[in-house]
Amino acid sequence: MSQVESSALFNIKNVMAQGMCAPVNVSISAGQTWMVVGSSGTGKSQFLKSLADLIVHQGEVFLNGVNQQAMLPEQWRRQVMYFPAETAWWQDSIVAHFDTLPDQAMLQSIGLPWSILQKNPDECSSGEKQRLALLRGLSYQPSILLLDEITANLDVEASIRVEELLQNYLKTPVLSAQIWGGQGDLSLLKRGGSGVENLSPPQKAIIWVSHDVAQRKRMAPVVQHLVFKTEVS
Amino acid sequence: MITISYWDLLTLSSLVFLLGGALWLNGFSKVGGLYWATLRMVVQLLFMGVWLSWVFHSDNPIWVILIGFVMLVAGGYEISKRQQYRFKKMHSFLIGLLSLSFISLILLIGVLVFIIQPDPWHQPQYLIPLLGMLLGNSMTAIGLGLDTLTRNAVQLKHKIEAQLALGKTAKESMQFIKEQSLHSAMIPIINMLVAAGIISLPGMMTGQILAGADPVEAVKYQIMVMLLIATSTGAGTLLAVQLASRRLFDERQRLQLSQLEKV
Repeated sequence: MSQVESSALFNIKNVMAQGMCAPVNVSISAGQTWMVVGSSGTGKSQFLKSLADLIVHQGEVFLNGVNQQAMLPEQWRRQVMYFPAETAWWQDSIVAHFDTLPDQAMLQSIGLPWSILQKNPDECSSGEKQRLALLRGLSYQPSILLLDEITANLDVEASIRVEELLQNYLKTPVLSAQIWGGQGDLSLLKRGGSGVENLSPPQKAIIWVSHDVAQRKRMAPVVQHLVFKTEVS
Repeated sequence: MITISYWDLLTLSSLVFLLGGALWLNGFSKVGGLYWATLRMVVQLLFMGVWLSWVFHSDNPIWVILIGFVMLVAGGYEISKRQQYRFKKMHSFLIGLLSLSFISLILLIGVLVFIIQPDPWHQPQYLIPLLGMLLGNSMTAIGLGLDTLTRNAVQLKHKIEAQLALGKTAKESMQFIKEQSLHSAMIPIINMLVAAGIISLPGMMTGQILAGADPVEAVKYQIMVMLLIATSTGAGTLLAVQLASRRLFDERQRLQLSQLEKV
């Protein structure tokens, strides 16, 4: 990585949940993408859900040195966001699920028309819904993306477009107030207006469960692979 | 008042017996349940009749309290029995009992002390029938509301978890299910209010009229009871749904469906 950090952006210490065979330890720096590898039933989804604090688990997780348990769960999950393979929609239109609308260019970049926002989720294909759910989550500007086979229903071309979108997202700086969630230092925003000094280097990383070997090669060097096995070795 | 004999009742009960046969021939599998419920109704009411006439004559409020307590516990039990997914460790019963008692008792005591004002205020002739009417209706509504809530929480688990994952609170994530629960609990009450006086003559009013009371006075009582029933069912369901949805999440706002067991 180009920037050497004294402390990692995202620290995972001895995280273990039901269905996992061994605790996981890893330090993740800003800008990195880590691929999670392993056959079905080795607890990869459980691992990601533990990181988002969606299920009961052991071990500790730190974002920028702040312990998961020290933060309100809803604040933590807004920054450490889990994207399931199976998307869910609870309103009658796609657009009702967005607090802030995605921009047209972003939609187009992953091959979706603007008009799709007006549709009923039941009318969309699962591939379309996977991409829409990704945008829905990204609109909250999370720092850590926990991606659980989010391109499983996409063809290669669409998958590559999604990968490009995510790589751009990793590089895009965020307002410093946003890094710390809604409760952040708003005085910075008020003082600076639109000045560049408010932009800090991107504090984002991705942890991605993928069965697609080519995708893993495209997204991360082999050293950034977490391998899940069936037996404890 | 013209009285009816036990022989009359026995003759009438053959109607339900025949109905059971007809239903059975048409593939209804719960004829036994129908007979059992009918038998229970008869025994419970006969028992209540004897007990009430005894309580009315003894002047001790301890019996009124005891009857009220038995009615509340039975109500809580019936609520928990109607759940397809029940909370473990009797929590369905406790949630039912609490929401049933809390609202009904406040309304009951309020209406006796400030509106009807019998002397003493806990005179069983007023207290017990009123409590019975409040409980009967609240029980049905709370049971329906809880059942809708837990069943949807299990079936629509992924929709709740998707919202949690987006950083919404447990309360926000349950909102769409809570709306459905309140809806299914309140619809019967709204229908009852609409039908009153046109399609149906409510039981209490009918009883008073049969006993020779002035219809206008009977109607006034009935309106009061309807208002109380609407309030107690709505508020009771609201409380039950609130307690139950909180119980579905742990202290880190994680959905804990292991709190439920399928019955």
